[in-house]
Amino acid sequence: MSTVTSPASLDRDLATIVGDAHIRRTAFEINGVIPAIVVSPGSPDEVGAVLRLANDRGLVVAPAGGLTQQQIGGVPERIDILLSTTRLNKIEQYDPGDLTISVAAGMPFAQMQRTLREHHQWVPCDAANLDHATIGGLLATAASGPLKSTFGHMRDFCIGVQFVTTDGKVVKGGGRVVKNVAGYDLMKLLTGSYGSLAVITGVNFKVFPRPRQTRTFVCSFGSLDEALKFRAFIFQSPLTPMCMEIISPRAPEYLHDPAPVHDPDEYAPEEPLSLPAVEWQIVLRAAGSDNVLGRYARELGSAVARTLEGAAEEQYWSWISHFERSVLSRHRNGLIIYTHLAIQSVGPALQALERAAPDYNLIPAAVGRAATGHLVLALMPLSVDPPSAMQYANCVSAFRGMLPPGSSAEVAHCPVEAKPHFDVWGTTPTDVNMMRAVKRAIDPKNILNRGRFIV
Amino acid sequence: MDFSIIRQLRKIAGKDAVLDRPEELMLYEYDAGVDKHRPGAVVFAQTTQQVSQIMRLANDRKIPVVPRGAGTGLSGGAIARREAIVLSLARMNRILEIDVPNQRAVVQPGVVNLELSNATAKYGYYYAPDPSSQKACTIGGNVSENSGGPHTLALGVTVNHVTGLEIVLPNGKVIEFGGKAQDSTGLDLTGFFVGSEGTMGVVTEITVKLTKLPEHVTTLLGIYNTVEDAANTVVAITQSGVTPAALEMLDGWMVRCVEANVHAGYPEDAAAVLLIELEGMKEAVEEQAEAVSAVCMQQKAREVRRARDEKQRQLLWLGRKTAFGAVGRVSPSYYTQDGVIPRTKVPYTLAEIERISKKYGLIIGNVFHAGDGNLHPLILFDARDPKQTENSRKAAKEIMACCLSFGGSITGEHGVGMEKMGLMTAMFTEDDLEVMVRLRNAFNPESILNPQKVIPDLHFCREITGPLPKAKVEPVAEVPAGRMPV
Repeated sequence: MSTVTSPASLDRDLATIVGDAHIRRTAFEINGVIPAIVVSPGSPDEVGAVLRLANDRGLVVAPAGGLTQQQIGGVPERIDILLSTTRLNKIEQYDPGDLTISVAAGMPFAQMQRTLREHHQWVPCDAANLDHATIGGLLATAASGPLKSTFGHMRDFCIGVQFVTTDGKVVKGGGRVVKNVAGYDLMKLLTGSYGSLAVITGVNFKVFPRPRQTRTFVCSFGSLDEALKFRAFIFQSPLTPMCMEIISPRAPEYLHDPAPVHDPDEYAPEEPLSLPAVEWQIVLRAAGSDNVLGRYARELGSAVARTLEGAAEEQYWSWISHFERSVLSRHRNGLIIYTHLAIQSVGPALQALERAAPDYNLIPAAVGRAATGHLVLALMPLSVDPPSAMQYANCVSAFRGMLPPGSSAEVAHCPVEAKPHFDVWGTTPTDVNMMRAVKRAIDPKNILNRGRFIV
Repeated sequence: MDFSIIRQLRKIAGKDAVLDRPEELMLYEYDAGVDKHRPGAVVFAQTTQQVSQIMRLANDRKIPVVPRGAGTGLSGGAIARREAIVLSLARMNRILEIDVPNQRAVVQPGVVNLELSNATAKYGYYYAPDPSSQKACTIGGNVSENSGGPHTLALGVTVNHVTGLEIVLPNGKVIEFGGKAQDSTGLDLTGFFVGSEGTMGVVTEITVKLTKLPEHVTTLLGIYNTVEDAANTVVAITQSGVTPAALEMLDGWMVRCVEANVHAGYPEDAAAVLLIELEGMKEAVEEQAEAVSAVCMQQKAREVRRARDEKQRQLLWLGRKTAFGAVGRVSPSYYTQDGVIPRTKVPYTLAEIERISKKYGLIIGNVFHAGDGNLHPLILFDARDPKQTENSRKAAKEIMACCLSFGGSITGEHGVGMEKMGLMTAMFTEDDLEVMVRLRNAFNPESILNPQKVIPDLHFCREITGPLPKAKVEPVAEVPAGRMPV
């Protein structure tokens, strides 16, 4: 498909909408594709005007926030306009008494969280890179961290959403109250839609009281089996931990600040395959008074190897949230997989990982939500004999093939050369034709993130 | 209804599974709300395959179909428009699987809400969403309405507890969303479908989360001399950092009404009571009970009582859960509202409701989910008196206007259905509604399923869909997997 617009006239038309100061060129690559132009609208109406223009001319638009998650997904067919939401960055309304907040989509998450913190409140999301990741971007990618175990993720706290459709309409779903069934639940539809349905411009959250005190219990086991038995014990106990992570033997290597590395391709753990790494960990984080935390210590007993509190605890959980970043900072060609599993599929998935990796010259490590089946799996290339693009693809296929039915596993990061050889999204139990019908209903010309998402 | 259709329905579902005589159909012309309309036929499906065949038949003949569970809905969602086929899922009432290790249950849509909790209690689990009608309402209906309940304050509503669905589309196609995993790759169509009020597909199988029964539960009863103090307590508790499992309020009139009915142990001279439930680990519950009692007293509670044992606790809840029935004893008719307001606006809104009550000379009882700001004012009237009926509608409208003026919602858990369709334009713009219609049409392009519900018939609906329900629309082109048309 070709466009009739010359670049110069497109620049002019976009500048008319957003002003000269808010269009620019970029060298930022999304899976090897450089957007032709970056546009930063200053209001939802301007977003609408940009989208209408793009829709009329058949230009492909990639919505963007803090650029922290843009590499997730397929290789874009092309990007004519990178639509940045970063100028939409104010708190529209916050009344601590109502425990709700209304924020423009381009605000970095951490900035909103700081405001909430002043009132001992929070949106319980501990995804990575929150200083840069925007609220709209986190919603669009359904990003989450260890807190997903108890609080769920964006879909569970988002009570209202404002977005702009490709025909330029500014539309809202939900509202500012915590319970609301008026109209269809557009919040659920946009959460995790990877910018493929509409451009999110505003989000309303329900917020929660922030726990006043927490403590972390690190428990070690000699095998995966023992760790899973301990998980079963927690499920049967009266304990209700806020987070429950499972950590594979090689993962702790990446749970601290990255060492200075000069060449990300060269770094590898020392003697990667000879390390007697057998220790699996289950890490619990509990909230409550001394009395409650004392009960945890009693119930967990001798399983606890160490306890963390205060700044050390915060630091530890930040490392867990940033496990993926830590891996990729040392192995640029690392492979990262996110899983969606039934609770009892966690064990088989971790075994599958340990089995699949070595055959393809990859070293496995895993961190994830033991209670809900959301694992972050990392596969690091062997520095002596790194895998080929096909080996990445084959490793993912082999791993997926070993997962119990009903599981899904998406590849969040791999070398771009490997992407043409397999489907980064993989199969899903949800009807894909219906997803496509929804996409057609709302973006009939397929101008949003073409080629990136499952639809 | 055309007899050939009745005959075909009998062929699909069996002789004893189709009703078409007027005296039988009368029983299916209403739900627990205010609207009424007699269907053309009622068919009881027993399998997914039958649902699929019924939908295919209806789709070919362009007859609207209205799915129905137990008929406990409060917004007319299960009431026929015109000569529709009411598709009852009440006979699809088997619990297919209780998967304790995965903390899931797989159920058919006709399973009664409370029966699932009863069936899983022996494993130490329950199904958390608990609408007041939980002894009768079905999980399929709960999914369609995204039902709430008192205990959804801490644990969330139906959508937070559904992980998988099997759905029959209007053309008879059977599709699946999600499964036992908490979520899956791709669009969250499970979440989007929940609360679609039977306008997108017929749910034939549901995978739900099971929640661990708490170690300890305690229920407090805060007793107040003024409604305002009780309302202020709600705000203060929410701000104190404690999230109760439930935080319910009954005003003085409701208290007396309930007491006359079940003797729940509420003091009859109270102006309002708060029913506060705390659950979790024993130590945490004890501390929270202390903290909450202190907040109540600071907010001028006359007294805070604590249920001594399970029997007393159940009795306190019996009062709350039978409140609507108690009203039925004293008033020939009542009109239940379901507005939602930001929590800090509870005191002001209750004062406003009091003013509206006086203005129209109608008793308005209040029993509601205070912790969520989800109000249920019950407007009492005598349906035989046209003046009172009219006034009750006017009063309802004013209450809604008040909720909306605070950025609230017209419905927190009862659904839009037929009853609140006219109010949708007060909450949403035409553009908002148009997008919703486009999305609905992706599932239900010819409005065969539950036509003229949820979204009012605005001009764009006719443009997109054509006159309802026998719509002539361009078929949505099937696109081969992979590439989208450009």
